[in-house]
Order: sequence, then C-alpha cells, then structure tokens
Amino acid sequence: MGAKFRSVFDIIGPTMIGPSSSHTAGAVAIGRAAYKLFNGPIKKVTVYYYESFAKTHRGHGTDYAIAAGVQGFLPADPRVPRAVELARQRGIDIRFVEEEGPSPIHHPNTAVLEVENDQHVVELTACSIGGGSIEIRQFVIDNITVQPAGPLPIIVYIDRGKQHPNAVELTGVVEKIAPFYRKQSLKGPVNDIYEFDIKNYMSAATIQQIEKQFKDVICL
Amino acid sequence: MYDSIQEIVSAATESGNSIAELIIEQECRLSGKNRDEVWQRMAVNLQTMQAAVQRGESGQGVFSQTHLTGGEAVKIKNYRTRRHPLSGDAMMAAVQGAIATNEVNAAMGVVCATPTAGSSGTLPGILFMLKERLALTEEQMINFLFTAGGVGLVIANHAGIAGATGGCQAEVGSASAMGAAAAVEAASGTPEQSAQAMSIAISNLLGLVCDPIAGLVEIPCVKRNAIGAGNALIAADLALAGCTSKIPTDECIMAMDKVGRGLPASLRETGMGGLAGTPTGQAIKARIFGNEV
Repeated sequence: MGAKFRSVFDIIGPTMIGPSSSHTAGAVAIGRAAYKLFNGPIKKVTVYYYESFAKTHRGHGTDYAIAAGVQGFLPADPRVPRAVELARQRGIDIRFVEEEGPSPIHHPNTAVLEVENDQHVVELTACSIGGGSIEIRQFVIDNITVQPAGPLPIIVYIDRGKQHPNAVELTGVVEKIAPFYRKQSLKGPVNDIYEFDIKNYMSAATIQQIEKQFKDVICL
Repeated sequence: MYDSIQEIVSAATESGNSIAELIIEQECRLSGKNRDEVWQRMAVNLQTMQAAVQRGESGQGVFSQTHLTGGEAVKIKNYRTRRHPLSGDAMMAAVQGAIATNEVNAAMGVVCATPTAGSSGTLPGILFMLKERLALTEEQMINFLFTAGGVGLVIANHAGIAGATGGCQAEVGSASAMGAAAAVEAASGTPEQSAQAMSIAISNLLGLVCDPIAGLVEIPCVKRNAIGAGNALIAADLALAGCTSKIPTDECIMAMDKVGRGLPASLRETGMGGLAGTPTGQAIKARIFGNEV
C-alpha cells in the first residue's frame, strides 16, 4: 500500500488559482481524471457533491474547478475561474447536484461525475484529500466497475477487443519502469480493463513512454 | 520515505545533514528526478509565493469578489511605517506577508498551496520576514521550503491536511508546525529543536475548527494565517531558547489526527458551525448566495 502523500511537492504546491486546494485545485484534478478516462468529445457532465463539497462548493469555486478539469485545464490555468461559461460555450451541458446523504466512499470531499456523449458514459467517484491531492475510489467504463486503491498514480489500460498479449507486455513494461503494488484485471463483454496502483509518482518521460508504446493506456 | 519526525531527526542528527538535505535526497529517490530538477521546481514555488506577497501588499492591495476580505496587508504595511507594532516589527512583517498571500488567494489569484490554499499565507509570511531578519539567500529560502515540506509530508500522511477531515488545525496548524521547524533550521537550530518547535506549534493550535463563512475561503481563513505565522515564530523562539514540549512530535501529530476525527461535521469545512453559524455569518451567506442554500 502506498502512502497518501508521496512527494514534498504535494505539500509545497501546487501553484494554483485560489481559493481552496482541496475544493478548487483538487476538484480540477478530479475533473481532469474524468477527462482522461473519457478520452473523447464530451456532451454532458453531471456532478454529484457530497458532505463538505455539497455544502461549500459555491463558495470554494468547486463548480468552475471541475468544469476546468473536464476540459483538460491544469489548476494554474487562468481560464479556471471562467471554466463553467467556457464549457457551456463549447456546448457541454454541465450540471451540479448537491446530495443530502453521506458520501458513498466515506470521505467529506466527495464528487461523483457522470461524463457522457451519444456513444458512451464514464462514471467516476473521487475524493479530495487536501492540498490538491486526490484519490480515485471507483470508475465505470463500458459497464465495467473498477475500484483502485485510491492514491495516484494509477495506470488504466482499456483492452479493446481483448488482445490479451498486449496486456501481458504492458504489465512487464510497467513493472520495470513504474513499479506497482497492486494490479487488477476486470473482464467485460467486449473489452477488458487492467488497472495498476503505482508506488511512486511517474516522471513525464515515463508517462510518455508508456502512452506512446501502448494505445488506450491512461496515466492518472 | 521518512515515516515519522523521529526518523527525520535521527537521520539528520546522525548524518550531520540538514533536514532540507535529507528531504531533497528523498525526493530524488522517490521521483527518479535529479537534484537540479527537484531544486528548480521548488525555486518556481518560491517565486510564486514571492509574487503573491508582492501583489497583496502593493498599491491598495487586492480585494475578493465579495469584498469580505482585502486591503488589510496594505493597512498593516502602513501601520508598520507609522507606529512601532506592539508585538514587534518582525512579527507584523510576518503577519503582513501571511495576510497578503491569503488576500490574493481569496481574490482567486495565483498562490502556492503550503500545504493548502486556505493556509497558503502562513509559510510565506514567516519566510519573507526571515529573509530580511536573517539575510537569507535564495538557496537558504529554498532549503526552508524543503524542510517545511518534508516535515509536512509526515503530518499529511499521519493526520491529514484537509479542513474537511481535520479542521483548521490540519491546515493552518500544519502550516504553522512546518514553518516552525523550518524557521529553527534557518536560524541554525538543531534538528531536535526543529521537532520541539513543531510539537509546540501543533499543541498551541490543537482543536482549531474550520468554520468558513458562506463556505468561502475568506473569514476567518485570511486572519487565521496571521496566527499561524505568529504561532510558528513563537514556537521556533521557544525551541531555540531550549524550551521543550514534553510530548514527542509524532504523538502531537497523532493527537491532531484524533482531535480532527472527533470534530463534528459542522466544524469541518461545511460552513455551518463556529463563526459561519453566527447570525452575522448566516446573514453574510444569505446576502452572497441568497436564502436557498
């Protein structure tokens, strides 16, 4: 099991647009995770907030933060505060729902995102654990439910058409350049999904190497 | 990865290295990046902090969209030129930097989260005051941030740094403890004294609740960073004077975790209890967001 925080830059950083690292920068990160997992043009986003997120999302700028993330912006992007308008200008229907009940994953800063277009839907359940760091507790792609350990980094491989040898090769590469502490393989009717919980943060070069060598790999 | 403050203090004491040096080595080991890359990234964070402080204390200052906060770093700056502050000029210089940063944060400006955005003023407040007072070089300032970040990592993994899980003690309290440890090192104190300063800083803010009015990061967050900076400097001075906490730092961190878990949800970043729940707090919320929330 990896520690929740694994870098001095989780504590000193990120450089970000205010006002809240958990409710703004962390929310951008949650939105970005959904954007990467969806990996295509987005038509509609529904955000369900729980507990502290439900109570303070308006004051903390969580709405524009998630809207920024689902458009792929980084936390320090100057467009972050205008991201809800920008999303709507791009034709993305984005809605925010305040849930009354407790978080389904027992964390006060929980958001569940449903991201969709006419072809497919991705659902993501994540929480913001402070200082801009997040955990991804569950996502559903092509009706396959994946429950990662939580802390990033996470590598996801969507094995379209079940080309098993690719997954074996990927596992070998990941083991070598980005050691993991847990791996899951989940079988779906059309595709399989492989998920790796990685021990340490990956460098940009490592991410690039993996994403270049394997199609349909997502590094979160 | 260092899993306790005790481990960090022992490693620093035995090797004769600074805490900053140990944390730089740890970061290189964990990230696979070389020393230059790690150093440069921290240098950029330092520049972000410097820019935020300057922005907050220049001209008329900055104001948030709600106008609940803003302009007070400039008031402090002017006060310091007209009067001799009761708590001393160095103390109010630190407070000025802390408030300047959080005013920029409340105005949706760019800040460096240290460890969070809500507590982003505490560390720069301390650091830029010490820059003048101890004539710190850029290298020493970057080392200050590695020390603060390294001990903060232990707090984050053993207690947490989110107001929603641990209250303000987890945010401003953590920032204050990080700043206290780094201030001791900047003043050539021992690693053990850094740990003592952390213990004292945590102990003195234990139980601090997160009660933001209207769920904004303005009242009381901006001024909480003033006390975070002040508390850190007092704790650092106490430790440098040879005063001790009696409760080991790692146990203080455990206590912070337990206290945080014991706080009701109304005092953990829900904008319901504490100052947010006062008649005036509720009235401000209604004025900004209407009565439906």
